[in-house]
Amino acid sequence: MYPKEVEKILLKVQKPGKYTGGELNAVIKDKKDVDLRFAFCFPDTYEVGMSHLGMKILYSQFNSVPYIWCERCFAPWIDMEEQMIKHNIPLYALESGDPLSEFDFIGFTLQYELSYTNVLNMMKLGGVPLLSKDRNELKNIVVAGGACASNPEPIADFIDIFFIGEGEEVDLEVMELFRECRKNGETKEEFLIKAAQIKGVYVPALYETEYNEDGTIKAFIPTKGAPDKIEKRVIMDMDNSFFPESFVVPNVEIVHDRAVSEIFRGCIRGCRFCQAGFMNRPVREKSIDTINEQCYKLCKNTGYDEVSLTSLSSSDYSQIVPLLTKLNEWTDEEKVSLSLPSLRVDGFTDDIMSRIKTVRKSGLTFAPEAGTQRLRDAINKNVREDELLETCATAFNGGWTNIKLYFMTGLPTETDEDLEGIANLGQAVVNTFYRCENRAKGRGVNVTCSASPFIPKPFTPFQWEAQDGIEEIKRKQMVVKSAIKTKKITFNYHDAATTYIEGVFARGDRKLCKVMLKACEKGFHFDGWSDCFSAEKWLELFAECGIDPDFYTTRKRSFDEILPWDFIDYGVNKSFLKSECLKAYESTTTPNCREKCSGCGAAKYGGGVCYEKCKNMV
Amino acid sequence: MKNVRIWFKKDKECRFISHLDLNRVMLRTVYRAKLPIWYTEGFNPHPFITFPLPLSLGFRGEAECMDVRFLDENFDLSTVADIMNPFLPEGIRVYGATESKMKPGDIAFAKFSARLYSDTLSARELKTELCELMLLDECLVPKKTKSGIKDIDVSQYIKLIEIIPDTDDLEITVTLPAGSANNVNIQLLFTAFENYLKSDVYYEITRHGVFDKEMCPFE
Repeated sequence: MYPKEVEKILLKVQKPGKYTGGELNAVIKDKKDVDLRFAFCFPDTYEVGMSHLGMKILYSQFNSVPYIWCERCFAPWIDMEEQMIKHNIPLYALESGDPLSEFDFIGFTLQYELSYTNVLNMMKLGGVPLLSKDRNELKNIVVAGGACASNPEPIADFIDIFFIGEGEEVDLEVMELFRECRKNGETKEEFLIKAAQIKGVYVPALYETEYNEDGTIKAFIPTKGAPDKIEKRVIMDMDNSFFPESFVVPNVEIVHDRAVSEIFRGCIRGCRFCQAGFMNRPVREKSIDTINEQCYKLCKNTGYDEVSLTSLSSSDYSQIVPLLTKLNEWTDEEKVSLSLPSLRVDGFTDDIMSRIKTVRKSGLTFAPEAGTQRLRDAINKNVREDELLETCATAFNGGWTNIKLYFMTGLPTETDEDLEGIANLGQAVVNTFYRCENRAKGRGVNVTCSASPFIPKPFTPFQWEAQDGIEEIKRKQMVVKSAIKTKKITFNYHDAATTYIEGVFARGDRKLCKVMLKACEKGFHFDGWSDCFSAEKWLELFAECGIDPDFYTTRKRSFDEILPWDFIDYGVNKSFLKSECLKAYESTTTPNCREKCSGCGAAKYGGGVCYEKCKNMV
Repeated sequence: MKNVRIWFKKDKECRFISHLDLNRVMLRTVYRAKLPIWYTEGFNPHPFITFPLPLSLGFRGEAECMDVRFLDENFDLSTVADIMNPFLPEGIRVYGATESKMKPGDIAFAKFSARLYSDTLSARELKTELCELMLLDECLVPKKTKSGIKDIDVSQYIKLIEIIPDTDDLEITVTLPAGSANNVNIQLLFTAFENYLKSDVYYEITRHGVFDKEMCPFE
């Protein structure tokens, strides 16, 4: 449903179907029948947000509780935003058409730092006061979770509650507490103090930060009985964790327009740049039967004819071939195709290829991440060049002619030789194509090398490292570009300034809240989109606020500095991260979790890959 | 194999689905409803569906149709609506399925109604202005064509407009040439009206059905 007054502006914007709701499987309840209304907000466009699996899971789960009505809300694209402001229409949720200000909870999922401006802008458009301290009643509680909640500090002033870790359990506990507090007539503060006692809940208002003269953190002090460490929540029994049997099926095309089944959480690899790989430990798999049943039901209930088996590294599923075989029992007949995103170079075998062959032959993407073996060892991306070339040969012989390779520039210990290695590796893949006897005849090969500048992220072994400045990023991109000698390689690279600004917020602290507030006042939005992003405006803003962005990006931290996110515990010990960082300097690798336990600390959760071997021995 | 025309209404939120997106919605629905439909036989088999006369974004459709091929010639067509509707969004309702009698190329006219309103003018004022517009012998509006923007004269079509008497808003009906050969978009008429008024007019358009050159309903 959309508010009546929206009708006349819908024909003045692109793809109005994004703003109407009314999709199949959308949950409509009567607001008189529920105690608690939750607006699940995705701080990006409908097409992006509707593709997000986390939202689908939590939307279904909230709505499975009779007293909660969870609705969806997305950032309106700039044409719609302009019309809404012009006609005085507040941002509304898609199911009821009610403005955000009418909701008990307004929840944001934080997937990337550059969406923070959209978080604030959506609150502004929805008529919700921006600062937590300006929302005094027990309503409009703004909560946030997701990957970027790992460093909540740059937006700590705006959010009442952060959920740390996986949301399925903790969200509902907080909802239940809210319901109770409201029944007892308690204040927002009383509710927040109680909520802070729930494991996995971070209430920023209950913590104070003291700074040293150089701007680093001196102390981070909990008040009002809040815990000094926030431990992440984690679902250990994946087979019995909530998973929706149906998705809201969008009427307009979205980015990932297909059914999705999550086959496991976490990643065994431990690549040292990868935040997801450390935050989501330990690896926990769903059983073949559970995945099979979930895929079947999803296809039946949504009508999608494509299922994506998603995870951080799908070929690492311990029984990937038996799983595909099982799925093929019905997918062939029902004309459903399977796709495996996030395939590792060493995971793409003939066996897997033959079972996902029904998928459109668009292109294959692999991520060697670095150009030389030395640097790949330093970042613990345990992929060898001969493995990559062998895999490419398999693909070429199977008829593929497009290969995409992902790399990063600016990794710790990197030299120009490593950068040239990117071009050399691309060339080696091109040469492999012409050596393949069964390659597609009469067609050339196209190897796309994409290089993204590296941003050190919290909770990785590189969290202390310096990030490249804008000029250095550009210089490195040119080093790679000039080393490429063939037209068969397309070189793509990411905008340097965007990366730099993202880096500021990735490892920022509470001092950045004032920058965010100003950014919102000045109308910043969609900074993840080149349509809207302006580096000049950001740099001006930092100067205006007296913030030196280099403090957060190009500064190398010492191992004993108090980091803004140190109070959060994702299960991996800081000492382990440090030892991994030191190993990177020596270009020494660490075996993956299945080969050998390296004692990161995640075994304390008592399950998953950490105990796989023991289970097998019994 | 039997050529079947499935009839549906497009309304509510689904008015704002584009033709391309409607195509996707229908593909998913026929797939999920497991209708015995012929699939294409290329590299990516998909249900074969076509639309004799697509409906513009934002229009309500009272009698829209979609063509498919049924593999099972004896399939009971009266069950199609009940099979498909549970799998469709609220705004799209299938109300029947018939064996195709005419070819899409036979379509020659489409009948519309529309409700018009404005922020600045009352319904009565809009009516008066429209009547005056209908008297003009030339009325040019820019139309986007493949070879760029061209001015075309829509005065002859504006004269076809009938104003429905005794309504609160300005309500009109009009039957316009339609189909692959000569199609007149009703929105051009309203653009002409807006240009004439030099102010925004909001409109809600419903297409009531399509007809052949003898004005027999398309079957």
